Amino acid sequence: MKELWARFPEYLSAHLELSLAALAIAAAVAVPLGVWLGRRPRAAPALLALAGALQTIPSLALLAFMVPALAALGLVTSRLFGFEVRAIGYGPALAALTLYGVLPILQNTVAGLRGVDPACREAARGVGMTPRQQLWRVEIPLALPVMVAGLRTAAVWVVGTATLSTPVGAASLGNYIFSGLQTRNYAAVSLGCVSAAGLAFVLDRAIGLVERGVRERRRALTATAAGLLVALGVTAALANVRSAEAARPIVIGAKTFTEQYILSDLLADFLERDAGLPTRPLQSLGSTVLFDALRSGEVDVYVDYTGTLWANVLKGRGAPGTRAALLDEVRRRLQAEQGVTVAAALGFENTYALAMRADRARSLGIATLSDLAAHAPELEIGADYEFLARPEWQALVGTYGFAFRRASSMDPSLMYQAVADGQVDVISAFSTDGRLAALGLTALRDDRGVIPPYDAVVLVGPRLARERPDVVRKLGGLEGRIDAETMRELNRDVDQEGRTPAEVARAWLDTLR
Amino acid sequence: MIELERVSKRYGDVVAVDDLSLRVADGELLVLLGGSGCGKTTTLKMVNRLIEPSGGRIAIGGRDTSGVPGPELRRRIGYCFQQVGLFPHLSVADNVGVTPQLLGWDAARVRARVDELLELVDLPPDRYRDRVPAALSGGQQQRVGLARALAANPEVLLMDEPFGALDPLTRDLLQERFQEIRHRLGITTLFVTHDVAEALRLGDRIAVLDVGRLVQLGTPRELLLAPASEAVARLMDTPRRQAEQLEALLRAPAAEAD
Repeated sequence: MKELWARFPEYLSAHLELSLAALAIAAAVAVPLGVWLGRRPRAAPALLALAGALQTIPSLALLAFMVPALAALGLVTSRLFGFEVRAIGYGPALAALTLYGVLPILQNTVAGLRGVDPACREAARGVGMTPRQQLWRVEIPLALPVMVAGLRTAAVWVVGTATLSTPVGAASLGNYIFSGLQTRNYAAVSLGCVSAAGLAFVLDRAIGLVERGVRERRRALTATAAGLLVALGVTAALANVRSAEAARPIVIGAKTFTEQYILSDLLADFLERDAGLPTRPLQSLGSTVLFDALRSGEVDVYVDYTGTLWANVLKGRGAPGTRAALLDEVRRRLQAEQGVTVAAALGFENTYALAMRADRARSLGIATLSDLAAHAPELEIGADYEFLARPEWQALVGTYGFAFRRASSMDPSLMYQAVADGQVDVISAFSTDGRLAALGLTALRDDRGVIPPYDAVVLVGPRLARERPDVVRKLGGLEGRIDAETMRELNRDVDQEGRTPAEVARAWLDTLR
Repeated sequence: MIELERVSKRYGDVVAVDDLSLRVADGELLVLLGGSGCGKTTTLKMVNRLIEPSGGRIAIGGRDTSGVPGPELRRRIGYCFQQVGLFPHLSVADNVGVTPQLLGWDAARVRARVDELLELVDLPPDRYRDRVPAALSGGQQQRVGLARALAANPEVLLMDEPFGALDPLTRDLLQERFQEIRHRLGITTLFVTHDVAEALRLGDRIAVLDVGRLVQLGTPRELLLAPASEAVARLMDTPRRQAEQLEALLRAPAAEAD
């Protein structure tokens, strides 16, 4: 728990700053737009429909889409104006959350202005107000309660959705939820959920109090509530500025599964304790987001796998060759084509494997993937989100001709339990996953050698490799230090024993010293 | 003085007001009388340009209104209408003082003027100044509406069925009170109504309109004695018919009442 709370101020202030900034921009866009629409009843339905359509895009997808969108924008701006737009982290999260916040504010601004008594509008004109005076002295004050209700809705939505900005690399209370779900740390999940809900509640109430103060002309109440909001914003911004001003730490990335959390904590601990270098975690990122972040310098170090790099980054075709040959080729081509350094091969492989309950496989007489193909039409496969879209799966289907009765994607944290409980028959497992042994599962042999080798390699981004060759050398010390059995044990300690990735990483490093 | 010269208003092919010429003399109250859709409200609103005329010329005090920006024009014209349209978020004092404020009067002068007007419409300022409109009865709201219309010493006053939504007793009281105020201030007024009795009671002269055209213009007495058409005669006769029905009821056998 202590370890959880250690990052609380950072996550909370980041979450708050992100949410307040998105709300402020959304209001700055939506209110004038709503006023404009309020005066153009014919344009209103079309624009409201567009804003409504944006709202129906699943929030996670909208956030993820902002990454390539900002990257494309960055290409344009760097060519035209000579500055880069950061495609991961704060930027895409802010852009997506702002879009989310616009709709309720826009809708309520339009509805609030439309709800103003026509007699009041006529009187406002009749006493000699200009259109601007009619708006500021009569229409906006009368529409204010409805507009504020929209702002409050937006606040709750934005604070809630901000928890999903973790995978695009913006820190938030969602970091607790994402890493907690993957490592079965339900205390972390609860902390993330409860504190995000609490934050939404506080913001909603504070905005409501400002509105009540204005409506009832209670200056003290207005000032207190507005002061509270401003103080929250300033505190969050200062906290974030302070952390940005501290000596630039080495940013260590992680994808969204247990092994990645352990390895990223392990690398951080290794660099901090053994080399005295400050580090900062950036966890729960999508696979391709993470590599792009490494190349652009937003992440400095993370662990990836040769097979993944070969297929997704180097666009390799045909047979990848042996483990050693692939490692050599990946090392050489990453350096030459991407400027990315392979600092160490950790010594284990984490390949994709199709796994079944051992007893079930025995009773059906399945030991290899060829055996599995014969039974596939009676069986159901469950896979993580990526797997069914990956080239490995295409290659497996192409070679073995799998035709499963049903294939469904599910969260990797649920997949293993699902096959153990018999809800699906086969899963796409990771060969180092501790749950394979723990739940009595068996990985089927790839008898025709379709799945490429997946050596775990520590990658170092171009900037860090250039500025700190000593860090690259230091990381080289991990070469070959973790074998597959060790990695399985570390994973099992987290997944089955309920220890935190940081504890497990530290304990293993202690055995090294 | 309000002058309308060959004024018209068209909405596409529909003619709401057709070639209308009228003159309201200084200090006079002219009633525009007619049924719904006769163009009386449209005519009234063209005077303060809440509605822009399609053709013709309107002058107030001899000055053409078309050259003056609408808001500036309306600050010189009192405007009072049936729904009153008090601003619910402002106090009674702020409602009454709105036009003087728009004209840039200083706060003390606005306050003095507000109190003066609240006295005029029989709402003691000490009790009513700081109330909100929602805390007032319909009749009190209309009094505040009248005070607001008169606040900036307007050259002319436009009233659109101002007493139409009030109960009969309140209406009667306000009509009487308004007549006193108007005579005291000597303000030139254009007054729209469809209530013949009200027109007869308040109007110095009455203009009867039908589908956007002027049918007859004259004093109440002229209209009663020499209606220009059968329709005007029937219209002007309505109060008398109602009075006769009343008398008939009173003469009915007393047994029925027991």
